Amino acid sequence: MTVESPPPAAAARRLLQQIGLEMAFLDLASPGGGSAGAVLAGLLMELESAVALAPEPIKRLTAKARECTTPLPAAMPDFILSLADWLSDWHAWMEEAVASWERGLQLPSVPQPLETIPGATASTPVTAVAAPPPRPGPDASVSAPPRRLVLDDPAGHQDVTVLPQEADPELVRLFCAESHDLLRDVEQGVLVLEGTPNDPDTLATVFRAFHTLKGNAAVMKLADLHRLAHEVESLLDAARRGGRSLDRDAIDVILAAADCFTRFVTEMARQVEGLSPGQSLSLPVPAILAAVAHLLAAAPAPEAARGQAPTPPPAPRSAVGAGEPAAATPPPSPAPAARATEPTASAGPAPAAASAPLTTAGTSIRVDTHKLDGLIDLVGELVIAQSMVVQGTTAERPPDEHLARALARLRGITSDLQRTAMGLRMVPIRGTFQKMARLVRDTAAELGKDVRLVLEGEDTELDRTVIEQIGDPLVHMIRNAIDHGLEPPATRTTAGKPPTGTIRLSAFHQGGFVVVRITDDGRGLDPARIRGKAIERGLIGPDTVLDDRETLDLIFAAGFSTAEQVTGLSGRGVGMDVVRRNIEGIRGKIEIDSVTGAGTTFTMYMPLTLAIIEGLLVAVGDQRFVVPTLSVRESLRPLPGDITTVHGRGELVNVRGRLVPLLRMGPHVGVAARATSPADGIVVVVEAGQECRGLLVDHLLGKQEVVIKSLGETFAGRHGFAGAAILGDGRVGLILDTNALVRLKPTIAGSAA
Amino acid sequence: MNTSTTGQPVGPLTAQPGKYLTFTLGRERYGLPVLVVREIIRLCPITPVASMPPHVRGVINLRGKVIPVVDLRIRFGLPDPVDHDRTCIVITQVAAAGGGSRPYGAIVDGVEEVAAYAADDLVPTPDFGTSIDTRFITGMARSGAGVVTLIDLEAIARADREPT
Repeated sequence: MTVESPPPAAAARRLLQQIGLEMAFLDLASPGGGSAGAVLAGLLMELESAVALAPEPIKRLTAKARECTTPLPAAMPDFILSLADWLSDWHAWMEEAVASWERGLQLPSVPQPLETIPGATASTPVTAVAAPPPRPGPDASVSAPPRRLVLDDPAGHQDVTVLPQEADPELVRLFCAESHDLLRDVEQGVLVLEGTPNDPDTLATVFRAFHTLKGNAAVMKLADLHRLAHEVESLLDAARRGGRSLDRDAIDVILAAADCFTRFVTEMARQVEGLSPGQSLSLPVPAILAAVAHLLAAAPAPEAARGQAPTPPPAPRSAVGAGEPAAATPPPSPAPAARATEPTASAGPAPAAASAPLTTAGTSIRVDTHKLDGLIDLVGELVIAQSMVVQGTTAERPPDEHLARALARLRGITSDLQRTAMGLRMVPIRGTFQKMARLVRDTAAELGKDVRLVLEGEDTELDRTVIEQIGDPLVHMIRNAIDHGLEPPATRTTAGKPPTGTIRLSAFHQGGFVVVRITDDGRGLDPARIRGKAIERGLIGPDTVLDDRETLDLIFAAGFSTAEQVTGLSGRGVGMDVVRRNIEGIRGKIEIDSVTGAGTTFTMYMPLTLAIIEGLLVAVGDQRFVVPTLSVRESLRPLPGDITTVHGRGELVNVRGRLVPLLRMGPHVGVAARATSPADGIVVVVEAGQECRGLLVDHLLGKQEVVIKSLGETFAGRHGFAGAAILGDGRVGLILDTNALVRLKPTIAGSAA
Repeated sequence: MNTSTTGQPVGPLTAQPGKYLTFTLGRERYGLPVLVVREIIRLCPITPVASMPPHVRGVINLRGKVIPVVDLRIRFGLPDPVDHDRTCIVITQVAAAGGGSRPYGAIVDGVEEVAAYAADDLVPTPDFGTSIDTRFITGMARSGAGVVTLIDLEAIARADREPT
């Protein structure tokens, strides 16, 4: 970023001027010094960056001022009073010192009183935070900090303004996107730390994530979040230095802080797009801060370590440096802070560098999905244009050798380009799987079950549209497994099983599909009970004969799960029928397998990509349509004797002994078909589930892989078409929605309702 | 100005001063805010989509994107629209239901120019009686010797979704 940067000392001097002004507005009667207190805290952050290269006493004194003003917003009134006096003296000294620094003169000596921050006890400044309640409510008495993190108590909550005034929307979006990534790192890392609390690499990653979150919050002038991140960072730092191991309480606190951030950032993202009118969120920030303070106070870590903690060892804390976005959008802070970025550049590439166990090494960039889709659209057009060129040249006369070679090369490069472009849409399933880890932990805790999650095949890549769609079904099935499938530890032990239940999530490629499998070693499904329930619900008659497989399949039937089976956890009345519908909606298939007493396995088969299907191209009149080959059973030219017309039931075609209702596509799509009698045309038999329909078309034009494009909202709600495809000559061919066509009620003489 | 009106303006003038793309439908002149216009292309093959209102002619392929196309002549009830070699499709960007924007094509008989209309040039839509649907008209602009009818393409796009 090229900015005209004034020398740091001059910048520091100007900041001190502003600080002096703000100090005058410190409202000693209101907690936290009123709004001036928050502004002051922000200015001091900037000052700290400005004095990064200053002589040591200036840096030290600035750090002290930062230290004691950081708790400012929630500090008690008398703390403010003594602080104000100290600040006055501090300001006077700082002005003199900075002036000397600017002129290269020797600094004035630091008066002894300035070395002691007011209000701090023998222990750390953070303890000062633990005491006060978040705001002057009726319960202004200081109670002992809670032993465990209690998040439901409204007294531990605080209203946090979400979208700062005059926030630049682009910056806000960037902040939200970055924060989401960081919070994901935090969650993954914390779950690792639960198992190995002292793993140095993971600790470093999570620490760095909060450090960056803190810096970003400062840039965005989010004082509450900044403080939250700061405190959690301290906790992590204490663990990093070996002073404090992360126990379950600590993990809970860190996760709670991450949740606060997540809620805040999500709400902020909504507000910046105008999707949410709210102004502020009630977040348990004070409760978490109190818990952190308690944890730190209980730690055996020496004060020196704690006092050092806020300043990361390598370089002076730079509010901006840590927050420098990868896309290098210039942040709105003054130039000196930007210059201070250099020493802390380590904060930037840090996520890529040392966290090998958690993230795949390697660089990546953020790309707008619209741009990506646009690129893929253009590649599709290129493929068509290229084949038109080839057809055009070969049609006239055989091309000369030179041209032929060039065309072959063009074709090769185009098909490579197309494969690469389609590959851009592929995303590893790791992200989705990792989200399940958190779900398992929380759900198991809530239900008093002991569960471990094993993940396999996290590198398996799926089209990003498919990934978006399998999240919900997975969540539902995992909740089911923990709720109904896995037994409580005592029951398991009695049954001779290990008390810890295992859920195994695996993903792999098989025969052109992506297979995702969930297995649990719980109590399994009992065909007899399922059968009984199905009879009870009227889904099958008491005499219906079904084998075990078909019986298990009944759980996918609509209406199988009812209110009594649904706990608050496994569904809001959502049953496996919705799961199956979701999977089939992405052209997938789900199967179930179970051994009573031993466990249950769900296997989902999904296409590698939703963007492309193989279609049978058909002509009706002068229009062309695409019929997905997956739904095509067969096609035939019927003999006149194969057609039966039944009064009021429409036309039927005899397909090898089976009577299939006929649908004349001409009238259905409003095109004048060439074939007036079915015997003049072709009948394409399509199926959906167990039902079939014969579609009467004029010609079969061949099979083709086509890219599916959405028709858009103009055509939303018009049934019969699943989308549009760009055909080989660049024109659009509509893709038939065979499911809808099969289920159309037949009416008189073959035309559809 | 056609004086066979009651002369009473109907509704407020919602058209803003600014630049407009003027085009013709039949012999009449219309205008669209230039900000929604992305490009103008010649008439190309349109794939019809069944069971849509008559003014929705279908979809086209524009550099790999499938875009809906409506015929403004049919939309405004102009008699006997004919596609000729000056007929074009104005590709615009309108608001999408879930936020963001989407492409939307409109067939016109010919495109004229980009004209700048100041506040003085704009007048509210007169009351034509009940014979004309004025929902999509934001105002009229005085242009040279004649008048240009300014339309609200976003409203037209939204109305596509209404049951006819």
